[in-house]
Amino acid sequence: MALDDDDNPALAAPPPTANTTTATPDAPAEETAEDLLEDEGAAAQDFRVFASLFKKNTHISAQTIRKGEKDFESHGTQLQADTLEQSRAAMQEVLSYTRIHSGANLVRGWYFPGWWADYEEGEEWQDSKAEDGKKERKPFGHIRDRVVILEGSSTSTQNLGRAVTGQAKDRPGRGKDWLLPEEALYLVERGSLDLWWPTKEFGEIFPPPPAAPVEGEAPQPENTDFDPSTQPTGASEDEEDEYVDGFPLSLQAAYALLIGLDGTRGKISLQKFQVYSNLKRCGYNVLRAPPNPPNPNQSSYRLNITIKNFFSSLLPSFTPSPPKSGPLLKPGLYRSYNQIFSQLSLIERHIPSPVLPFPLPSIAPYEIHFLVWKSSQKWTKLRHPSPDFYLSVVDAQESEVPQMEEILGLLEQTPWAPPKREWEGNHGRLYARLKNGWRNVLMAVVDHGVINYMRWGEGGFGQERIYERFDGRNGSYRGGKRGGRNQGRGGRGGRGGGRGRGEGEGEGGIDGRVKSTG
Amino acid sequence: MISGSLSSFFVMYKTIQRSFFLTFFTDQCCFKMATSTSTPTHPPVRISLIAGRYLVFDIDAVMVLRRSFGLCGVLTGTMPQNPTQNLFLSMPQELRAEEARLVVDRGAGYVADEAGDHLRLLKEMSSGVGEKRREGYLRELREKRVAAKRLFDEEKEAVRRMHEGKRGKGKKKVQKVEEGGGGGDSLFETATAVQPAPEEALPAITPSTSNAMLDPAGTSGAIADENLPEPSAFYRELNKRGYFTTPGLRFGGGYSVYPSDPFKFHAHYLSSCYGWDEKIPMLDIVTSGRLGTAVKKSFMFGAEREEEEGGKKRGEGEVRMFCVEWAGM
Repeated sequence: MALDDDDNPALAAPPPTANTTTATPDAPAEETAEDLLEDEGAAAQDFRVFASLFKKNTHISAQTIRKGEKDFESHGTQLQADTLEQSRAAMQEVLSYTRIHSGANLVRGWYFPGWWADYEEGEEWQDSKAEDGKKERKPFGHIRDRVVILEGSSTSTQNLGRAVTGQAKDRPGRGKDWLLPEEALYLVERGSLDLWWPTKEFGEIFPPPPAAPVEGEAPQPENTDFDPSTQPTGASEDEEDEYVDGFPLSLQAAYALLIGLDGTRGKISLQKFQVYSNLKRCGYNVLRAPPNPPNPNQSSYRLNITIKNFFSSLLPSFTPSPPKSGPLLKPGLYRSYNQIFSQLSLIERHIPSPVLPFPLPSIAPYEIHFLVWKSSQKWTKLRHPSPDFYLSVVDAQESEVPQMEEILGLLEQTPWAPPKREWEGNHGRLYARLKNGWRNVLMAVVDHGVINYMRWGEGGFGQERIYERFDGRNGSYRGGKRGGRNQGRGGRGGRGGGRGRGEGEGEGGIDGRVKSTG
Repeated sequence: MISGSLSSFFVMYKTIQRSFFLTFFTDQCCFKMATSTSTPTHPPVRISLIAGRYLVFDIDAVMVLRRSFGLCGVLTGTMPQNPTQNLFLSMPQELRAEEARLVVDRGAGYVADEAGDHLRLLKEMSSGVGEKRREGYLRELREKRVAAKRLFDEEKEAVRRMHEGKRGKGKKKVQKVEEGGGGGDSLFETATAVQPAPEEALPAITPSTSNAMLDPAGTSGAIADENLPEPSAFYRELNKRGYFTTPGLRFGGGYSVYPSDPFKFHAHYLSSCYGWDEKIPMLDIVTSGRLGTAVKKSFMFGAEREEEEGGKKRGEGEVRMFCVEWAGM
């Protein structure tokens, strides 16, 4: 076999430390049997295949694969077939890449699905950054779902994982970061994590700190000569076989172990994982939403509500209702549109309010699944501002357009997010206000790996009284939205037309000259 | 609400052609199938069923499906070479359930319960029952690691030589000074050149597939065919005619239909599948027809004709398709 140790001059002499590169004793004998059938010339070819496996090939981009313009249909030419074949070959080459972890950025994770199965999550507290000695609550950790323990750390694992605090001092693996299934799978997929399947008990791979001699957790016959003061990674240095504690898993195995049906502990559904990794690739910070989010509407909303909003919400109830048979508008002399229109508004409008009169539960699958933050330097996994987006993931095939109760229940889980203050009272920002809504939630619809994001907002059309503008003085409201827009449009149209004429036909050119001279 | 079933559309097709073009779908595409399905030239394609989704992890299998079966699926994984972009994604490839079934029906592969199979194998391998399997797996892994290391060493060596060549040409004086000042350094350099870094450990590797762990020709964990959902006759027909399909979400519809590989061609149709006697709301036709026209595609809808005598099984009956394009008269 071309790749046997004996053929490799670099490895012919056993390395002095004899740690990882020692040959597996009698393995080659069986495997070369069939490989010997191939002739010697296969060696070079084999190597070329491997070369393409590990090279990053950064010069191949999406452009190489989607080379040239797309055609409308097949016209059976060799040229067309060739370009398609080139694209396919490029794709094959790029996708054949094997994830490789060289010395410095090797981070190893171990799959221990049962370790936190019985954990009961309470509130965790951390010291506040402000120096008033207060403690702040840690974000919900989903500890029971954490199934992969990290051996070290690197820049790519910084914002992922969670160390479980408040554990007994002699507990093995104390202080290590644990990953959620989506975090682990995302890291494996981007080539930043080497995921291993353990063949030993947890306590043997992560021996408890030396201060407390181990009696309970797990019997450790092999570790008697093992110096527990070294890091657990040291295991491979002392042992002959580096695979004594376990072995690396493939990407396929990682998917098999970490993807599961909704609600399975220690797994995540494929749709949710696809959304998670899509957002992570874009650079967003994403955390799993806590299961029963403490209602964000309970706290300090009253400060946000302005007096004007307060009065306008009370206003409709003061207007007297018209007589049942009588005219909608009382006969009389009206000097303002305001009086007329307020009499005409008969139907009760939905008025967004920070607190719903009756609490609505969220109905699966319309629940908040992820909290999303725009990328920021200050963001850390334990300390972060309130999320920029609240995201729900639904499957395109299995779900319908949400019912009223479903969308209300979903919106109820998000905090009160009124339009910006500076938009208030400005007619020009009418559409900005309406578009923003008073609460909003994102929904990711997944159709077999294709994701579409939608934003649902709680509108407040009843809040926007267009008729109030009719009573103002001539100039006062014209300067608002309408005037501004017309001006803008006129200007743009004019400019565009002018340029077109100038560069275009001769007639237009004359036209332009006439204008400039006149 | 105005509506009509597919059979009535067929009648309408013969009689009128009014404000939208209703064309009978007669597009004939020649599609070369992989010689014959009875003697596949490739190993069986393993489709992993994980939590109700169908995934393919092997790049060779992906290429087989693309080249010989007209299946392009959706690549969903992060690309390890360039993990901060969403334009071009990597393995695994997700297939729809009916696509998976189609592969199985053509005898090109099998669907495996991946979680169950992996857990069983991994437990065997760690308990000693599967010691041989474990050895084989690790051996193959080790071969790859050795190859990777050799490649890295060669690259390093090439870079070193390139640098040395440059230095030798341009900076002879500087080199002399260096030799005078720090002879130890250059001595060390030559030493490493002779024996390229033997103290470095083999790099770790995450293989893309578990093939080394699975039986080479076996179909471990395979799920019986009848437990897999049937493909619609509509889809079967599209595939038979050589069309590629992707999920319809991008343009709004059941599928987006491409005349051949989406690498080279734009989608021609948005398509939806109905039942033969199902009432199709006229609004559906208008909505989808206009939507399709807006993205330069026509709306295709169709159904399988149900045979009266029951001579033909489901999925083998005649399929009729119509295309609607907005004429804007």
